[in-house]
Amino acid sequence: MAAVSMNGSARAPASDIALEVRGLSHVYEAGDRAVPALQDIDMSVRAGRFIVIVGPSGCGKTSLLMMMAGLRAHSAGTLLCQGRPIPTPDPTRVGVVFQEASLFPWLTTLDNIEFPLSLRGVPAEERRRRAEAMLSLVGLKGFGARYPHELSGGMKQRVSIARGLVQDPPVLLMDEPFAALDEQTRMTMGHELLRIWSTTSKTVVFITHSLTEAVYLADEVYVMSPRPGRIIDHIEITLPRPRTYEMMATDVFGRLRERIWQQIRHAQ
Amino acid sequence: MTAPSPILVRRAILVGLIALWEILPRLQVVPELFLPALSKVLVVLASDWQVFGGALLVTLYEVGLAIVIACGLGITVGALVGGVASLRSLLLPVFSSLYAIPIVILYPLFTAWLGIGPQSKIVFAGLYGFFPVMLSTAAGVRVIDPQFLLAARSMGATLTQQVTRVIIPASLPTVFAGLRLGGALAIIGVVVAEMLTASAGIGYLVTLNRTILDSPRVYAAILAILLLSILYDVASRALERRVVVWQSTGRQSAPAARPVSTATPQATAA
Ligand SMILES: Nc1ncnc2c1ncn2[C@@H]1O[C@H](COP(=O)(O)OP(=O)(O)OP(=O)(O)O)[C@@H](O)[C@H]1O
Ligand SMILES: [Mg+2]
Repeated sequence: MAAVSMNGSARAPASDIALEVRGLSHVYEAGDRAVPALQDIDMSVRAGRFIVIVGPSGCGKTSLLMMMAGLRAHSAGTLLCQGRPIPTPDPTRVGVVFQEASLFPWLTTLDNIEFPLSLRGVPAEERRRRAEAMLSLVGLKGFGARYPHELSGGMKQRVSIARGLVQDPPVLLMDEPFAALDEQTRMTMGHELLRIWSTTSKTVVFITHSLTEAVYLADEVYVMSPRPGRIIDHIEITLPRPRTYEMMATDVFGRLRERIWQQIRHAQ
Repeated sequence: MTAPSPILVRRAILVGLIALWEILPRLQVVPELFLPALSKVLVVLASDWQVFGGALLVTLYEVGLAIVIACGLGITVGALVGGVASLRSLLLPVFSSLYAIPIVILYPLFTAWLGIGPQSKIVFAGLYGFFPVMLSTAAGVRVIDPQFLLAARSMGATLTQQVTRVIIPASLPTVFAGLRLGGALAIIGVVVAEMLTASAGIGYLVTLNRTILDSPRVYAAILAILLLSILYDVASRALERRVVVWQSTGRQSAPAARPVSTATPQATAA
């Protein structure tokens, strides 16, 4: 666990703003139709926070995440990552984990994790060293030579997380990373993610449809309205850390979960 | 009593056929002219090995160049047609219907343009093998999961890197299937062309000896062609296994995947 933060310079004081979204709107031009997907989004994410975004299907969560990753342009407003715009993807600033294990089936686990490093010509020895460190961070030591099809769904997502973190970006974006997993694995993975997050002090933006997952993981939950997506609620999750499974049975947990659910329901 | 294994049955059938090939002509159940005994064919093959070997070399040379043309052209055109949407809608239907034409009927034209030497055979067989390579490359490029490209972009892959590091390896299994078929068709193309019009090559030996009713030599030439095809198949399979490791192993071990193993790696890591 020691060699986790490789370029310590990326670590910002807790008061710093990792992600700043102001008046962001987006309209998709589909042929001659215009689809307004996002409207007037404001978010201010402090460094090191665990942010969860929930909202009905099609409200623009993935679109917003893609913009934060520099994978998609937006129509209006500002989006700053550590104070600077992010016009193109930059894995040293922002790591991304997708829902589908988007690991390359022709590469071994280690080669998959090394992939972003090899794209920028990092020497093989350093690549291997950093990938090995990531592999043990996500609890998969000894699985480096396996191919993705030899791993379970949960293990694949662990590898995806390792790959997203291998360049030590201060921000990690996750789009429903555990949605394809069974309930049990999903809980374990959530717990694992919190462990990894607490050892690496990343800023995490996490999209989910599971309200339980949202409350369990988050420092703050943003609730979005149906399309065009707007922020309709911003909830501070006051549960102490480290989170435990027992907290799910508490009143506080239930009330927070209920509040989010009411917001989503009434916005329909 | 348990059923014999399929491999055993297959071998038994093969041995049986070979035995029949030897016995039937000897018992004169089948006339020598139609089917000379295997031993006779082998004797001819051995005694005339220089003739057959020389012819095989000519054929091999033509096949080699035809495969280079089929693969080079097929992969290039296939990648363009599969990757560029406008080209795809324009050309793919054309190529698909061209593929259905029995190109053999065009061979006389090739001899008119290129003569009866190796050139016409190489170009004809190259074209013959081109279609499956092109079509499967186009398919392989087209069916690449867009999620792979998105992931690569998120990791900062340039356009060139997306091609070399994602599109090419992702389409390799499909492309390889096309290469194997294309190579096999190139062999057929060369041999058929040699049988039709030629003065050299193993296909020519088949035609020549058939006109002079020398059955053992006809069969000897056929055996040589058979050998060539089998060698090609074995070699291309071996190459495929080496290049697309992840797919061949995937087919074998997919059913054995462990369902709930997220807990185990933790235990081993701790
Ligand atoms: N490339 C695109 N072109 C046109 N419209 C798009 C495009 N991508 C998304 N959309 C539309 O924008 C809206 C938001 O899509 P998005 O995928 O961001 O929603 P989401 O909140 O992630 O949904 P889900 O919860 O189902 O994943 C949808 O109505 C979708 O149809
Ligand atoms: Mg989505």
